[in-house]
Amino acid sequence: MDAMKIANSIPMWIACGIPVIFVIIQAVLFARGAFRAGKKMGLKDTQMKRAMKSSVVTSIGPSIVVLSGMLSLLVSVGGPIGWMRLSMIGSVMFESIAAGLGTSAIGVTLGTDTLTPEAFGMAVWTMILCSIGWVLFATFSANKMDKIEHKLSKGNAGMLTTIASCAVICVFSAMCASHLAKPVYSVFQKADQMTMSSAEKNALACFLGAIIMAVLTVVANKKEIGWLKEWSLTITILASMILTVII
Amino acid sequence: MKDFYTEEYMPKVNKIGKFTGYVGVLVAFIPAVVLAVVFGILPKPAALLTAFISGASAFGVLWFVEPISYFPVVGSAGTYMAFLSGNISNMRIPCASMAQVAADVKPGTQEGSVIATLGMAVSIIINVSVLTVGAILGTSVLSMLPESVKGALNYLLPALFGALLVQFGMKMKKHSIFMVIIAIILYILIGMGVFNWLPGASNWLGTLGCVFISIAIGLATLKNTKVSA
Repeated sequence: MDAMKIANSIPMWIACGIPVIFVIIQAVLFARGAFRAGKKMGLKDTQMKRAMKSSVVTSIGPSIVVLSGMLSLLVSVGGPIGWMRLSMIGSVMFESIAAGLGTSAIGVTLGTDTLTPEAFGMAVWTMILCSIGWVLFATFSANKMDKIEHKLSKGNAGMLTTIASCAVICVFSAMCASHLAKPVYSVFQKADQMTMSSAEKNALACFLGAIIMAVLTVVANKKEIGWLKEWSLTITILASMILTVII
Repeated sequence: MKDFYTEEYMPKVNKIGKFTGYVGVLVAFIPAVVLAVVFGILPKPAALLTAFISGASAFGVLWFVEPISYFPVVGSAGTYMAFLSGNISNMRIPCASMAQVAADVKPGTQEGSVIATLGMAVSIIINVSVLTVGAILGTSVLSMLPESVKGALNYLLPALFGALLVQFGMKMKKHSIFMVIIAIILYILIGMGVFNWLPGASNWLGTLGCVFISIAIGLATLKNTKVSA
């Protein structure tokens, strides 16, 4: 049987639907727990609703980026697997590499050669086996790391806030740096024109994002414009994307 | 209030997290099992082992480094959720942080962790919904988009990270500027292959290095301010 027919068959859709639904169930369980806890801890309903609304707005952009990444997986390993892999333990880069490693172990190059049923099986198994390491370690260690963090901070609330704030800043610094540094070291690597220009464009987008956000935040704070605070992230991202394309 | 959080909420979070995490790992195998049972496709163990070993050597360090690096940001409930659903740096962390801003709570506090959990859960539901619509409509969605929009999508994440860095960095200006400079230097060194002797360093060294440098500097300056005050 044709591998792509198997990959896009009804049984595969059902088999991949179960893990996807499972991820949703987990999210709902945690959300319900957090909402109830929030109420008991004195957080206002409006506060929690604002938080959820802001998360909806923030997720849409990145979700579309993940979606466009998923479409390349749809072509190489079929709809159901691409859908499941990016809904569960997924990241676009990891999935295509893992799928490629799986098929190449039996001599099939993913995306170039025709996918055989055997190669498809290899891709599926490799993607799953290589991804569960994250979940196993995270599930095993979450409560232990919590204890370690509390021991290190000796219950000092200020210290915990500092740790968390520094960690947030550092994650975003690291993400920005990965884009900003690329044009610099690409020069040393003597990368080709294509790589150079895309690296420069990404760095530009990151830079513009920072500048526009800074301006909007200052304006919103000075003039006390509430709606601008809420929408500044969306406006910044759209403006930087459009400007980057034009420049 | 403190008793409720540590004695009721956290044990519940751990219970839900452990159960869904371990069951989730089993559930992830369902497509592979269906492939074997319904279609009779089962890879040869030797070939699979080869593929797994090359995968593990490429990603193995990340299995441990990422949960540790992101823990100070997302907390326990966040760790359980973020690693089962994936897309951590590009979606879960931005959403958790923005939710905290919207609710006006501080990261690292109990209220902050509850709000971050809400934000992440919502982002998972949105993320999966968008992907589900996309998977059903298939490749026709993207072929409808004009080239210029597709090109612009490439710049969404860099712009998002730049904007978020400013949003959160403004509260700790000196620290942020210092961290960005360190991070850029670190990434340039990684890109130039200075750390090639570490396996797969280009994937994990940047984030891990920055997390620990940032926390160390943050704590050091916190102590200084306390002493001076």
